[in-house]
Amino acid sequence: MLKTLLDNDRTFRYLLVAPAVFFILLIGLYPFIKLIIASFQNISLFDDIRSFQGLLNYERLLSDDRLWHSIVRTLLFTAVALPIELVLGYLLAVLFLEKIPFKAALISIILLPTIISPIVAGATWRLMLDQRFGPVNQIISWLAGTDVKLLWTVSASLVWPAILIAEVWQWTPFMFLLLYAALSNVDREQLEAAQIDGASWWMTFRRIVLPAIMPVMFIAVLIRALDLFRVFDLVWTMTQGGPGTATETLSIYAYQMAFREFEISYSAAIAFLVIVLLTVFVVAALRRVEVSR
Amino acid sequence: MWSNRIMYTQFVKNTRHVLTVSAVCLGLISNAQAQSAAEQAVEAAKQYSGVTLNVLYEAGLQPLDPKNFTGPLWEELTGIKINVIESPVDQMFTKAMQDFRSGSGGYDLLNVIPNQLPDLAMSGALEPLDDYVDKYNYHEELQGIAPVYRDNQMKVEGKIYALPDDGDVLILYYRRDLFDDPANQSAFEEKYGYPLAPPETWQQFSEIGQFMTDAYEPETYGAGLLRQPGNAQYMFQERFRVEGGRFFDPDSMDATVNSDIGIKVFTEMRAENSWMPPGVEQWGFIEAFNAFLAGDIAMTISWPPVGRWAAGYGKGTEALNWIPETKVADKVGYALPPGGTPELAVGFSLAVASGSANKEAAYLFAQWMNSEEISLQRVQLPYALRDPFRTSHFASEEYRSRWSNAGEYLDVLQKGAETGLLDLSLLQTDRYEEALRQAISRLWSGEDAKKILDDLAEDWDQLTKRIGVDKQKRVYADWASKPNAYP
Repeated sequence: MLKTLLDNDRTFRYLLVAPAVFFILLIGLYPFIKLIIASFQNISLFDDIRSFQGLLNYERLLSDDRLWHSIVRTLLFTAVALPIELVLGYLLAVLFLEKIPFKAALISIILLPTIISPIVAGATWRLMLDQRFGPVNQIISWLAGTDVKLLWTVSASLVWPAILIAEVWQWTPFMFLLLYAALSNVDREQLEAAQIDGASWWMTFRRIVLPAIMPVMFIAVLIRALDLFRVFDLVWTMTQGGPGTATETLSIYAYQMAFREFEISYSAAIAFLVIVLLTVFVVAALRRVEVSR
Repeated sequence: MWSNRIMYTQFVKNTRHVLTVSAVCLGLISNAQAQSAAEQAVEAAKQYSGVTLNVLYEAGLQPLDPKNFTGPLWEELTGIKINVIESPVDQMFTKAMQDFRSGSGGYDLLNVIPNQLPDLAMSGALEPLDDYVDKYNYHEELQGIAPVYRDNQMKVEGKIYALPDDGDVLILYYRRDLFDDPANQSAFEEKYGYPLAPPETWQQFSEIGQFMTDAYEPETYGAGLLRQPGNAQYMFQERFRVEGGRFFDPDSMDATVNSDIGIKVFTEMRAENSWMPPGVEQWGFIEAFNAFLAGDIAMTISWPPVGRWAAGYGKGTEALNWIPETKVADKVGYALPPGGTPELAVGFSLAVASGSANKEAAYLFAQWMNSEEISLQRVQLPYALRDPFRTSHFASEEYRSRWSNAGEYLDVLQKGAETGLLDLSLLQTDRYEEALRQAISRLWSGEDAKKILDDLAEDWDQLTKRIGVDKQKRVYADWASKPNAYP
């Protein structure tokens, strides 16, 4: 019987991957199921109650304005930061396609922010933007010729630009790196042929460059979009979600609920909502790529 | 004053010798002779020799006490090792609760913020200590703790759950040289019609601050206060009550923080920023402390270490080498903040974790640290953040001779320990405080004070409903009935 099974190629392949699949399910699926169960319960750190309460947490999700505001904020932040990082990353990559002195050293320096932990990046920018010790306001004051008092992490109108600056500073190099690799592999002969045929810059970009870099660009955008949707560390270190809840992203809200307000079950429901939203987004994005192929 | 590390090392060495000799002598002296609480703790703890106690401390300077002083000394005396686990102060409650709920028994002794004591005790995370206090005759020495800490930061529903161990209180520090300057005095009196002196009301504070800023800006500003929401919430709690505010209606448990008094306090707090140093809205403990030591501000309100470090106490201690050189060493004056009822902001009490496998050993370590003789040494450690909390600490001739006006400093701390206001303490207090912190950050961002406070009151009401109005009403009534809840 075993010999027959092993002789069957298809069965043999499944048997080989079975242990790995089992461990992945154990590690990945168990917490997920636990999370779903917790989201139907009434668990709080403050008491021992573990009773089931049906869909109450999910009902609460629907009427929780603070949650929906945090989702809208997160989406808006993603919608603004992602294109900026993409465009700047692309322009940098194009620049580095040319022959420039100390190219390797410059690329290493440009990549430094991406290597830094977001917590450190956030703390650094918070200091940079500090009124008393930070150089940013001093430089602006010097340029303006008068003392400028800009409370970047306090003022409601400045706090998002401050976070955006830090975010773009840290993650544009990531876009640059992937797009630089992709652009380096664009077929030179096609580009030269287009040039000889008198194709415009836009036509060359649209018909030759974009299709060639699209798979890599798609992955870069997907990774950054997912990261931006889950953004926590950078914002937390700069503003802790403030002033008030003005910079409270979805991840910060989920953290507040779980570890400041100790509503374990409700934060499990939020986490499940996040999983659903991200799954829908990723599946839709992958399907779109498949269609475009 | 300890002016260098050698003197400090000598101090630790001497203390160890004295205590070691005392411990040895204890074995020889007849049992008939009365033992101090510290000595009893040491004797009893020897049976646990070889055990390691996990102790939760606020990260930063606080753990240097058990790491450098009490921990090694305790191990030498009893054979019990102390393992210090550090946590940021805002995560200590979470860590203690998580440890309790998971049943992991990761901590033996906890540093508990007193206004979180009801939550921890009522959830079962803390061990009642009455039996241990009886067994090891600690009642008498507990009476030596200043009443405001002893009566408010020790018991929940009549049972002892923690030993008050830190005299945190926010007091006013001011530049005596600027206040005593004859030109300033005459100019101020001429303008405002009363003598220039440490402010007794918030209006005086504002007028004096504006006067100093006008006179010395940009070298020195009138004041710089702790404006980061985590710190500023304590200042609001104090000021709101000084002005006559009440947090809740005791009958309905509706939040009344959005009363006219609340709006007045919020409005005044924001208005004061205009004559404080630019960017004061971002200031926390360190920023205000640095500015005061540098001579950039004439007044500040902060925790007790500011007062002693500004006077130069602890200068040359390795652990304090990050502190900038004080430029105001002989110019620091001490006073109660406007209103005369300072906030007893934060503070720490020592509690035994109910999940500990070494409860008695943990209690004995707490009793020993908290005792008259050991605590007096601890509050004098140059780097320590433990502030005087026993009557004997305030009266200590040794402490009062540490710097030129240390006596004045201790007198003000003692007054604060009599009139100080308790931090608001409810079930799930941190959630109420979090809403208040968010409200303060909105205040600095320029939003309308009334709108912010209305939203805060609504948030508090929703929280109360979620926790249970009747349950919370009982806890609030208990808190509000304490003499130091409201002035």
